[in-house]
Amino acid sequence: MQKGETITVKGSDTMVILAQRWAELYMSKHPDVTIQVTGGGSGTGISALINGTTDICNSSRPMKKTEKEKLKQRYNTLGVEIKAAKDGLAVYVNESLPVNELTLMQIKAIYTGKITNWKEVGGPDARIILYGRENNSGTYVYFKDNVLEGQDYSATMQSLPGTAAVVNAVGKDKYGIGYGGAAYGKGIKFLKVKKNENTPGYDPTAENIKNGNYPITRFLYLYTRSKPSGAMKEYIDWILSPEGQETVIKVGYFPVR
Amino acid sequence: MYKKVIPLLFLLFLLTAYSLPQSTDTLATKEELSEVKGAMEGMNETMLEMKTTVDALKKIKVSGYLQAQYQVADSPGVSSYAGGNFPTNVKSRYSVRRGRIKVNYDNDLTQYVIQIDVTQSGVGIKDAYLSIMEPWMRTASLTAGIFDRPFGFEISYSSSNRESPERSRLFQTLFPGERELGAKLELNSAEGLFSYINFKGGFFNGVLNTANENNRHKDFIGRLGFQLPFQEENLAIDGGFSLYSGKVTNNSKYLYSIDANSSTKQYIVDSLSSNYLGHIGRTYYGGDIQIYYDIPPIGGAALRGEYITGEQPGTSSSNVFYNPSSANTPVYKRKFNGWYLMYIQNIGLKNQLILKYDVLDPNSDVEGNDLGKTGTNLTVADIKFSTLGIGWVYHWDSNVKFVLYYDLVMNEKVNSSASGSLAPYRDDIKDNVFTLRVQYKF
Repeated sequence: MQKGETITVKGSDTMVILAQRWAELYMSKHPDVTIQVTGGGSGTGISALINGTTDICNSSRPMKKTEKEKLKQRYNTLGVEIKAAKDGLAVYVNESLPVNELTLMQIKAIYTGKITNWKEVGGPDARIILYGRENNSGTYVYFKDNVLEGQDYSATMQSLPGTAAVVNAVGKDKYGIGYGGAAYGKGIKFLKVKKNENTPGYDPTAENIKNGNYPITRFLYLYTRSKPSGAMKEYIDWILSPEGQETVIKVGYFPVR
Repeated sequence: MYKKVIPLLFLLFLLTAYSLPQSTDTLATKEELSEVKGAMEGMNETMLEMKTTVDALKKIKVSGYLQAQYQVADSPGVSSYAGGNFPTNVKSRYSVRRGRIKVNYDNDLTQYVIQIDVTQSGVGIKDAYLSIMEPWMRTASLTAGIFDRPFGFEISYSSSNRESPERSRLFQTLFPGERELGAKLELNSAEGLFSYINFKGGFFNGVLNTANENNRHKDFIGRLGFQLPFQEENLAIDGGFSLYSGKVTNNSKYLYSIDANSSTKQYIVDSLSSNYLGHIGRTYYGGDIQIYYDIPPIGGAALRGEYITGEQPGTSSSNVFYNPSSANTPVYKRKFNGWYLMYIQNIGLKNQLILKYDVLDPNSDVEGNDLGKTGTNLTVADIKFSTLGIGWVYHWDSNVKFVLYYDLVMNEKVNSSASGSLAPYRDDIKDNVFTLRVQYKF
């Protein structure tokens, strides 16, 4: 990758706004570099990295072993993982719903279909309407692996393209529940999440995410096929610089440095 | 009074005039909203039904690849491991080397897989198996049916990904067709100990991939592997140790083996009648290693190697394992060894340079000079071969790749007094092969 060339970035929808801000800022200071950012989901980004159709993959989950194997087979590399930001995965409900906190076990039971009525968790006698992400999304995979502990989502969950769509749906559905990046959570109510019955519930605030009190946190990653060099290395170094990390805070995520 | 009433009446008129249409509009709007809401709910129900159907369909994964190639051999009618022997008088050919279609119904913990191969020779079954993974740790899985033998590295490395057009002579000889009927247990995980150590092993018929069992023994095939990623150093070292422990049934009373006590290396025969339907060991020991290293900005490099040694029961004319179609065929026992070393260098995104060297000594008890000595009974199946492969792969896009490859095949030179079928091997026979291949994969 030489200066004057285009750097393509593809992947996580959660990260797409952050990635666009990074690109805009960087290009304004480096007019000789063009950065093209697209979303599509972490899985799509990783596939593009393996297929050679993107230079950098944004992912809101770590690469799977099987995906690393594919990189190894095609490029003889392990891929390079760069932790670029930290995120709290928020659980949203409609503002009018009189439920303010849930334990991780309750969230798991709701999303696996074991709890189907709000009255079972202290809410009104109404069916819980599940909203979630599509399975090419890193958020979908992260939530499944870490909150549902690998169990399948309930078949009644409505899969939506992008966290913004989940927020929008929950905002209009007074019995809806959704999950997604905290940065998208404006206009709807975040639930306090408790690790278990005996611990207090925490909001996905910067402080709670930083100090580890909020239980659903994750890193946001950049992946490259090989060790970055040239213009791509300079761009990634900038993302990890104080300026790049300041952008992370401005967009609503949390810096790693 | 009159002056006060007139404006009031006028105001009432105005209010009525405005409110009547407004009430009508509100009613209409409410009705329209109700209709839209109904339509939305209907669409939502339809979408949920469709989602159920789409989710079910997403479990069916269809993939495949087709390899079309043009080959030129050094001389007409040569025997070749570069995609099969050339017909008599033929030194160049077009062929569809592989035309695979694979259907996989992936239900997360359970899988159903069928793969067929469509070429100019017809349609053949490659894979037909089911796989069940335990749901608790997601570490152990059981597979049954026709699938790759769990031995070494090169067998399970897909032909669509392999950089050289063919597997090494060693694997083509020991494991023709790669597949086998049987059942295996696999231990492999994304996390914990089994992310570094893995095991696959099971029992198989020990005949050919789709052939029916022809003896009462089941052969054990297994590999204990390791994967050591050194992420910071851009280095990975993978490898494993493999075992094949099986038996073949002698359908004659003749059992040939090399006379270890004689200075003249040749076969001696044991013709006890008890040899008939006797069981002869087929045992292979293997070790394999793969080293991956990133060399920025050129690209990743890989060095792969495998070594296998053991005892192979064959026939007089063939060092492939003993599985004769005709009755009363004697068994020839051979100690063998073989290995290959392969270097792949990615150059940028699209190009790969390949160097491969493989050796098969099908009878390690004898040397080239022993073959063809007057009065001895060694055959062409005892000749050692080595092959140097040089190639270039160009990835046109994520579906299409071109492969240019040259196999420089070298045979052990036999005794100068050799005659008959061994006579041509007094020199290096002209059996090098050039391959130009294009592959489409989806």
